[in-house]
Amino acid sequence: MRTQWCKKAAAAVMAAVMTLSLAACGGSGNTSQGGDSSAADGTHLNFSCYNYSNSMDPITNVNSSWCFLRYGVGECLFRFDENVVVDYALCDAYETEDYITWTLHIREGVQFSNGNAVTASVVKASLERLYDAEANKTGNSTPSQYVTFSSMEADDAAGTVTLVCDSRTVNLPGILAYPWYGIVDTSVIDTEVIGTGPYYVTALEENSTIDLARNEYYWDGEVPYDTIRIFLTEDSSTKAMALKSGDVDLVENITTASDLAELEADDTYYVSTTAGVRLGNSYFNFNGVLGNDALRQAILYAIDDATMCDITVGGMYTAGCSVLPSSLSYGYDQLTDPFAYDLDKALETLDAAGIVDTDGDGYRELDGQRINLSYIAYTSRNLDEFAQAVAITLESIGIGCTVTVQDYDTALANQSAGNFDLITSNATTVPTGDPTGFLGNFYSGNSGTYGYYANDQYDALYEQLLTAADAGEQLELIIQLQQILIDDAATLVHGYYNSTFASRASVVSGADIAPIDYYWITTKIHPAA
Amino acid sequence: MKKAAGFIKKNPSFCVFAVLALAVIAVAVFAPALATHDPYEAVLTNAVQPPSAEHWFGTDRMGRDLFSRVLYGARTSLTASLSLVCIIMVAGTLLGIVAGYFGGVLDAVIMRISDMMISFPGMVLAIAVAGILGANMTNAVIAIAIVSWTKYARLARSLVLKIRSRDYIAAARVTGSKTSHILWKYMLPNALPTILITGATDIGTMMLEIAGLSFLGFGAQSPTAEWGLMLNEGRAYMTASPWLMVFPGLAIFITVVVFNLLGDSLRDVLDPRNE
Repeated sequence: MRTQWCKKAAAAVMAAVMTLSLAACGGSGNTSQGGDSSAADGTHLNFSCYNYSNSMDPITNVNSSWCFLRYGVGECLFRFDENVVVDYALCDAYETEDYITWTLHIREGVQFSNGNAVTASVVKASLERLYDAEANKTGNSTPSQYVTFSSMEADDAAGTVTLVCDSRTVNLPGILAYPWYGIVDTSVIDTEVIGTGPYYVTALEENSTIDLARNEYYWDGEVPYDTIRIFLTEDSSTKAMALKSGDVDLVENITTASDLAELEADDTYYVSTTAGVRLGNSYFNFNGVLGNDALRQAILYAIDDATMCDITVGGMYTAGCSVLPSSLSYGYDQLTDPFAYDLDKALETLDAAGIVDTDGDGYRELDGQRINLSYIAYTSRNLDEFAQAVAITLESIGIGCTVTVQDYDTALANQSAGNFDLITSNATTVPTGDPTGFLGNFYSGNSGTYGYYANDQYDALYEQLLTAADAGEQLELIIQLQQILIDDAATLVHGYYNSTFASRASVVSGADIAPIDYYWITTKIHPAA
Repeated sequence: MKKAAGFIKKNPSFCVFAVLALAVIAVAVFAPALATHDPYEAVLTNAVQPPSAEHWFGTDRMGRDLFSRVLYGARTSLTASLSLVCIIMVAGTLLGIVAGYFGGVLDAVIMRISDMMISFPGMVLAIAVAGILGANMTNAVIAIAIVSWTKYARLARSLVLKIRSRDYIAAARVTGSKTSHILWKYMLPNALPTILITGATDIGTMMLEIAGLSFLGFGAQSPTAEWGLMLNEGRAYMTASPWLMVFPGLAIFITVVVFNLLGDSLRDVLDPRNE
């Protein structure tokens, strides 16, 4: 009996020791006031975000240029405000008479985070480096997509850069606000990427963390944090859990609806949501079976976008019918949608077009061939969930559809090669502050990588838009272009992505997401009082 | 009948687990009759509903009935696991017997390939193979088969080596028995009981590996009803809607436990020391 009692006691002691050991291994879960040991003194922010690129050099690719701005490391000559209106940044004045020759005045007294002065010559060198990298294929960024220059001149005495465009470019300030045109210190670019943002990089561990510190030379007000650690986190739920545990103070874009709903319901967290400028859609490949008008129209009739936006992706998107978000002022209210959700009409359209199931296998045939759409999706911003919901709906009306979820680069390669019937997309519709560039995806000269859509009337109006300088005329053309795309069932619009920031309310203030998501870490985000 | 009663009395645990395993198989076979809904019918407006009288296990994010999907998942998971075990058992055993019996260069080649295979972490290699072949269930089975046959080859080889130099094998040779006859009549039967026991205990492990690959996106693809994939689909809703992970997880847990215990009890049944 005594031996048995001793054994039990020993087991209990062992269990207690193990429990205490495990408890000692765990963290307190409350590191929000500067949990990182590197920030024992001063203000510190832990921020978690998806890793789009390990580079911050604007010439590397689109994502790297976005990271340059998003992490608060770099800035452009211009920037967008919360209404997506272009505003001055490193440039504080400009002149142009013909929209071809632009004279930009560089703000005086601005320094890079290493203390070097931002002069007109440095700005010119930075822009030249960007175009050289594209020409030499040393970078994947393609700035000539928006504007090309026949000459660039710098006058350091006057503090001006004179840019001569190859063609009339009405929206040059908006274009120069695009992250590709971020200004870097070219004198040190071979060793590090230095910008003029409120913070600079002190350490970078690829796919893991980025450490930032205050830029002592920042020109635009006080920089609130001494240090920031960015945790690069792929998984949305992980980001939400890190926020809840206190491991991080601020996260961007929680894309799991249930996690976001939990955060919104809890006063501990402040969730900032904005009707973004991103369109979630699926491109049709007009060179395949979806070149058939009735089939595309039936698909639009069959898809219940409102339910998908509100329930399937839990309100992460706002439903709509046009390629330009309803929150932007491009005449959404004046558009009519002839293919609004109506399942019966979808079936009628298919039957009337002779797209019926003749062999009784449950799937409809077109020109004697069973329809089996190849639908490529990638996981970013709930796109795979849309694809699956669309596929399930199409199967229910006898249209075979196989969803293949691929990584972003593979999907993009397949898109460029035209290896798809449907492919998901999530893109900023006003990358340079106006939608002209985005509407160009449907111009027959550019649409090769977007499903080969072609419409002569659309092309003519688009060419008119490129040269229009009057705002009223531009708006009228943009409305007409949108309506043509709707009438042609040119693309399957899912909705408009609502960007989010979630922060711990007791620790962080001012964490509001901007509609155009080039800017994450800004001086507006500061410690809570 | 008396014999059967005697067997049951002698091997009660084996009989219990055999019945349970048969029940799991029956669920898979009769899934269409047992399911309350079409597992692929989505009602988007009913997404992520908690368990109720209408949907016993709730619904998933596409509004599909989870109970029906878990039942149909048994079909996918069991078919894949049993096929996989059969493939690696047959291929591994044959290669092991050939290597052990013939020895020499053939033995060296087969065993070195086997060494190469086990020098990598199995799951990592399976992920690499599945990634190269493309993500689907067939390729997941092939990927795991490529990294898992070695165990059977080593086992069969060691068993063959043990009996290769026995007198009765030598006698068979001198009396003119063909090699194929010796392999088939003497080598295989000697290796078979151990191989079968290993195979039975491997069913659960293989089921976990397949579910693991599907969870990581290298196996079954949506909308297939497969437990690993269902776990992955429910992962994002783990805290708000735990039923999306609990029921597929339970299904995997129960099935793996049943087949593991069945394998253990089969070992006891076939163990000659229990005679």
